[in-house]
Amino acid sequence: MKNEKKKLTRRDFIRGTVGATLGASLVGLNWSKARGAADGSSLVTIVRDKNAMDAAKNVNTDILKNMLDQTLIKFTGKNNVKDAWLSLVKPSDKIGLVPTPHLNPTHEELVNAVKSSLIDSGIPEENISNAQGGPDKPKACTALIGLPGLKAHWLTGIGTVLKLYILYSGSPRSYHQQDNSKLGEIWNLPFVKGKTRLVLVDALHPLCDKGPQPDPRYKWAYNGLIAGTDPVALDTVCLKIIMNKREALRGEPWPLSPPPLCVEAADKVYGLGTSRMENIKIEHYGWDEDLLL
Amino acid sequence: MDGAGELYIGYRFNHLEVYEYTSDSQDDILVELYFMDTSDDAFGLLSLDWGGDPVALSSSQENSSAGPKARFSRALYGEGLLRIWSDELYARVMAYRETPEAKEAVLVIGRAVTANQKNLPGHEITEVLSPVIESEWTLRKDRARFFRSYLVLNSIYYISPQNILDLDLSVDAVTAPYEKTTESGDRKRVRFLLVKYINPESAQQALSHFHEAFCPEYKKEFRVASAIQDPLFFEVGDSWLGYRLHGSHLAIVFDCPDRESAQKIIHQNILNIKEKEETIEK
Repeated sequence: MKNEKKKLTRRDFIRGTVGATLGASLVGLNWSKARGAADGSSLVTIVRDKNAMDAAKNVNTDILKNMLDQTLIKFTGKNNVKDAWLSLVKPSDKIGLVPTPHLNPTHEELVNAVKSSLIDSGIPEENISNAQGGPDKPKACTALIGLPGLKAHWLTGIGTVLKLYILYSGSPRSYHQQDNSKLGEIWNLPFVKGKTRLVLVDALHPLCDKGPQPDPRYKWAYNGLIAGTDPVALDTVCLKIIMNKREALRGEPWPLSPPPLCVEAADKVYGLGTSRMENIKIEHYGWDEDLLL
Repeated sequence: MDGAGELYIGYRFNHLEVYEYTSDSQDDILVELYFMDTSDDAFGLLSLDWGGDPVALSSSQENSSAGPKARFSRALYGEGLLRIWSDELYARVMAYRETPEAKEAVLVIGRAVTANQKNLPGHEITEVLSPVIESEWTLRKDRARFFRSYLVLNSIYYISPQNILDLDLSVDAVTAPYEKTTESGDRKRVRFLLVKYINPESAQQALSHFHEAFCPEYKKEFRVASAIQDPLFFEVGDSWLGYRLHGSHLAIVFDCPDRESAQKIIHQNILNIKEKEETIEK
């Protein structure tokens, strides 16, 4: 049989056959066997507070701390923040915090709030580090807490959760251009897989177009924290928010281009989680105006 | 440049200069000066988003706005960000926090970086796009984009993650939607794409690659010679695709509701190219 690789096109995307085409092109004809188990529903919590930022977009750190506390308690179902953290990490863990480093970076206030909260919960400060960077960073950690900023990305559609670990690959350029659909494979690297205990998306001031370079016309005060452990479900929810914001801005559907193939591939090819909204349980707390879901 | 580099090297990028202005009373202002090899490349970067408020940064820009070729804005401001196309320079001047004072400072910086520039016209390929097709289809000039790279094309209108149109820095390309409103009030939108390759052979080869990837079920119907003689049309999914070669130019229209629409849009735009060529010959 002639071994010709089918080229993915817009038509596959419209037909809804992108998953199969991607699977075959990325993993080979036995792609469906390579898929991990990603059944069941995934919980995503959203906590928002209208006053998390002031009119000048300064973060209110007291309100942010409350939002973080609420997120941890609601997501884990524990009675207090300490128990919540200790259900996710052990005091002996070497914990790496992984923020978005630049171009609409994660708010420093959020990174600091997470670190303080961990310390207050009994995690030794020396066991907590910033783990954004090359492959050595996750190798030195036993637990990772993702802290990506919510933003659209002109090369990958979305540049939030799945793209957060791109530097862990050691060759980030390999995941740009036509290969961005492979971003999910980074989460399956031996020194990354299974280490992510929580992803906390900084959705205080997201960017819905032209990312990663900031364009203030496309940033807005969402004032939210979005939490989960399923990176695909999180990016799916984040995408929904971005898409709805884009439609609200233009008054008509305004699809992301290129489509975020990495999200569907992370589900259907790499088995990292679910990209189907019907399999995602969204719990929302706090400010509900313009929730965009 | 870390994180958006492919956008700029998708054009003929030369170098980047970055400055930060600080003030005791205001937040910082970031100035990014992208020096491109040609004015067309700087124009292309601005063309990726015609949103924002047009601003005239120099008297020559004000004068040029009355000229027949001044179809596009040269500087656009929105919520603290000023974007400028000025000859071979593309600039972003951004106040981290917009205030009336910050806006004024941003505009002053904009005037300084564009001083003594010539303000060359936009690329000629954008001039051949027909603004109206038979009183039916209207060009969305505000969404006309000039580009050279398939990555940039995909950020405008997704075709394929592979470079199936053989785009590179040697081509000039423009894409824009045409729209019409039906009697029932529905809005239909099609996508027109025009690429000028370095020579006719490259255009023919690119069309061959495109057809093979995009319309594999019509493999038997494809002959390059046919696309030079007449436009070809194919029903793909629930819409029509049409294309035609003319010398080094390849014109493609996507998402047409019917064959006739595709035919009209291709025909009128190819006619414009021919007229322009005849004008140049004279």
